Amino acid sequence: MPTIGFAFEESIVSTPRLPIGRCTLLPLLDPSRMSLERIVSRVTSNQSRKLAVGKGYLDEQFCQVEDLQDEASPNFVEEVVTLFFKDSGRLMSNIEQALEKYPRDFNRWDTYMQQLKGSCSSIGASRMKNECMSFRDSCGQGNVEGCMRSFQKVKREHAVLRQKLESYFQLLRQAGPAGAATRPVM
Amino acid sequence: MARKMIRVLLVEDEEINRVVARAALKAAGGGDVVDEAENGEVAVQRVRDAAAPYDLVLMDKQMPVMDGHEATRRIRGMGVTTPIVAVSSDGLPADVDAFITAGADDFTSKPLSKEKLGVILAKFRLA
Repeated sequence: MPTIGFAFEESIVSTPRLPIGRCTLLPLLDPSRMSLERIVSRVTSNQSRKLAVGKGYLDEQFCQVEDLQDEASPNFVEEVVTLFFKDSGRLMSNIEQALEKYPRDFNRWDTYMQQLKGSCSSIGASRMKNECMSFRDSCGQGNVEGCMRSFQKVKREHAVLRQKLESYFQLLRQAGPAGAATRPVM
Repeated sequence: MARKMIRVLLVEDEEINRVVARAALKAAGGGDVVDEAENGEVAVQRVRDAAAPYDLVLMDKQMPVMDGHEATRRIRGMGVTTPIVAVSSDGLPADVDAFITAGADDFTSKPLSKEKLGVILAKFRLA
């Protein structure tokens, strides 16, 4: 039985586990269970999601969004995330233009950043949201340099989050739907 | 006896927030009919022109054209008694007070979730 160096998610399949060293891989006793590759993909995608949550990129709200996904909306999470990146790209472009065209217009800058912060909150993008809040604090203090610094951090967090979520969804797509019936590859 | 259809007006300018709120409303059992308005002016129009009264209005604070405070004032000015719940990410006491003064019945913070909406629906006996 192959070993993989990370923990697994118990909810993936319900067969009993065989502890092997520091990690565990669930046995494929039932031909209707997922193939080995798909289990690995699903475990990896869950680990990827856990890491993103554990490191503060995503908070509990992301889990709430996941809970809203059901059979009637099987791609809800990915649709919401896609919408987030579309919206946030637009809002960040607005902010960038405002920083350039409207110097020291803290009210305008703050209004745009509040919208971006709201979007971040909707999907649980907590680190990005925190940087949005830093920007707004700087607006409140009339601190131009602080705003510029914070905005760079917002952009950085946005890029990192996009990368993490793209990896997560790619792994999920490879894994396929949970419990899908395929012949196991041994 | 068949359960009455719950009609909700969701007033929110950001599409992503509307998408999540709509799904959370449905999950909380209150999403039978969900109309949307992207700003306060459209919300006032929707309320005025609605074929049947809404059971609940969820009102964002900061929106272009007309904000949530003003929209709430105008809806109350029309004699509409539908429960209006203000929704804002700030949640400062001054914000809450301003909404209540304008005529809102309650306040909740963003982001909206199935749990928060469940509490709101139960409070106004819509669950």
